[in-house]
Order: sequence, then structure tokens, then C-alpha cells
Amino acid sequence: MKIFLQTFGTAKKKFSNFLNSFFKKKRTRIGIYGPPNAGKTTLANRIARDWTGDAVGPVSEIPHETRRARKKEDIIISGANGSTVTMDIVDTPGVTTKIDYHEFLEFGMEKDEAIIRSREATEGVAEAMHWLREDIDGVIYMLDSTLDPFMQVNIMMIGIIESRNLPVIIVANKIDLPDATPARIRSAFPQHPVVAISGLEGRNVEDLYETMIEYFG
Amino acid sequence: MKTMPHKCTKCGREYKDGSTEILRGCASCGGKKFLYVKEEEINKDVLEEKSIEEIADESKEEVLEVVEQPTTAKKEVEMYDRVETIRIVSPGSYELNLEKMAKTDERIVSVGKEGSYIIDLMSMAKDEPKKKGKKK
Repeated sequence: MKIFLQTFGTAKKKFSNFLNSFFKKKRTRIGIYGPPNAGKTTLANRIARDWTGDAVGPVSEIPHETRRARKKEDIIISGANGSTVTMDIVDTPGVTTKIDYHEFLEFGMEKDEAIIRSREATEGVAEAMHWLREDIDGVIYMLDSTLDPFMQVNIMMIGIIESRNLPVIIVANKIDLPDATPARIRSAFPQHPVVAISGLEGRNVEDLYETMIEYFG
Repeated sequence: MKTMPHKCTKCGREYKDGSTEILRGCASCGGKKFLYVKEEEINKDVLEEKSIEEIADESKEEVLEVVEQPTTAKKEVEMYDRVETIRIVSPGSYELNLEKMAKTDERIVSVGKEGSYIIDLMSMAKDEPKKKGKKK
């Protein structure tokens, strides 16, 4: 039975690819970007669970848990007024300008493992930047609202995204934490829509979905 | 053409127009600021018992400041001026040049101190990416 379902699944996918090649359905590919530990994978998982029932990838408090970009295709998000958007969500590795394995040692990781993690994370950033250049139609830029939004990497990334004329929604995440100040993020990036959410608890994600339909639809 | 001699604003020593001596600072007092004065007003400071600085304020003439070239302070190279995409500081410690990565897939890796690079020629020799959705 399981094998049958798998075969059926593959066949279904092939068939839909076949149809897509005819109808060239324009899908919007949305990249979730942001510094490490902003909650990108948590949000990607939530979006995937809310609209498809699946998950995207594992989450960890150690930075650079996501070291390869992960894609979840054909997510159909529908808004309150009945309009829908079909999109692929790409969860990307945390973007940073410095990766040092010493940082992982603090989490009790062995040196060898930490060095490998650091190397993979570096490749991951390169991969995320590659996606941004060629395959992304819109960006969700995640920020931890308990931290200073004026970090150099954020200013740089928003600048890069703007220079590519990509629509961007800034998500002020972790509003479940007591010292979260999403207002600081709003004043840092007044030129872009900012949605304050808790990806972990799911607070206010409906707002984000509505904004996504508005900006990426 | 009228010449405009310089006067040290500190001690008033005169220097010929275009003198390169002043680039090392005033030979008498080591002052670094010089004022252009008109030939006919060259002794104005002495006659009117004013300092060169006061005359500088009156004449609105620009005070030339000799800036010493900082030789010891090493200038921090800005990220976007760098040639490399990734710098390996030590095994497991990396510095990434996001601006460069956003522009190209070409990889130039620098190792340790500035001036040592590894260039990935393969990354530069790759064909232009094929148009999406085009299948054979």
C-alpha cells in the first residue's frame, strides 16, 4: 500500500510537471532571508504546515542549522477576500559576514564538528546569495526583534535586495519574547512593509499571509 | 602674475610661493598651517601687531594645512573594495564578502593575511546560466 502511494505520488508529480510545461504556470518564488537564528526555518515550517501539512527542515538554537537552501514548492496561500497566490518558499541559510567555528564550541560541539559546520555554513551563504541572484522573485527578510536591526549585514542585505528591485516584506519575529521591540525594526526600514509575528507561537501570521498576497501576488 | 607667499600661522616665517619646503612643516617652529598673503601685505602682521591667525580671519584667505601622511595606521580595507569573496582567517573561520557574492558566482578565496589568494578558475569559466524552463 505504501509503495503504491509512493508510486502514485511520483506519478502525480510527474504529471503535474508535464502539465506545468504546457501551461507555464507562473509561480512566485519567495526566499526567506535574514541573519542566523532569526527564525527563518521556523517560519518556513509554519507556512508549509499551515498550507500543505508538511515541514521544511529541522530547527535549532545553534546558529547555522540550515546550511543548504531548502525549497517547498506549490504552496497556495489564500487570503480573507478569497484571492490566492501560489508560491515556492525557499528557506535559506542565515546570511552573515563572519563565520567562526569557536561560536559553535560554546554550544558544546566538538572542534572537528564545529569546523565542518562552519565550512558548510560558508558554502550555505554562497548558495543563498546565488539563489538571490537568479531564482528569487520576492524576499521575506526575517529579523529577531529582540536584537538591534542596524547590524551591518542587515543594511547590506536590504541594499542588495533593493538594488535587484525585488519586493521585500520585513518580518519582525519573536514578538513572544518580553524584550521584543518590533517598533525599532519599523523605524529602521520605513521604506518596506514590516509585519511583527511570532513564528514559534503563530501569533499574527495571518497578517503576514495577507501582506504576502498583497506584495507577492 | 602676482606671487602669493606663504606665512606660517604660528611663527610668521615667510616662504616663497610654491615652496615645497612647507610640505614638511615650518622649518622654524614645525607649524603645519600656512596662510597665503599678498606680496604688498607681507609685513601686515608686524606693522599692525596682529597674529597671522587674526589676519587669516580678516582676509578670508584659505589657510593651507599640511597633512602628514599616516604611515603607521593601517587603513581598514572596506569589504566591497576587496577582491576576494571568501577570506579564510584560519581553518573554520571565514569572512564572507556578501556584496561580491551578490554580484557573481566567481570565487576568489584569500588565505590568512591580505595578499594571498586562491582563484577558482572553474567558477569563472562556467557558461552563462541557461534560460529557465528551457528543456531539450
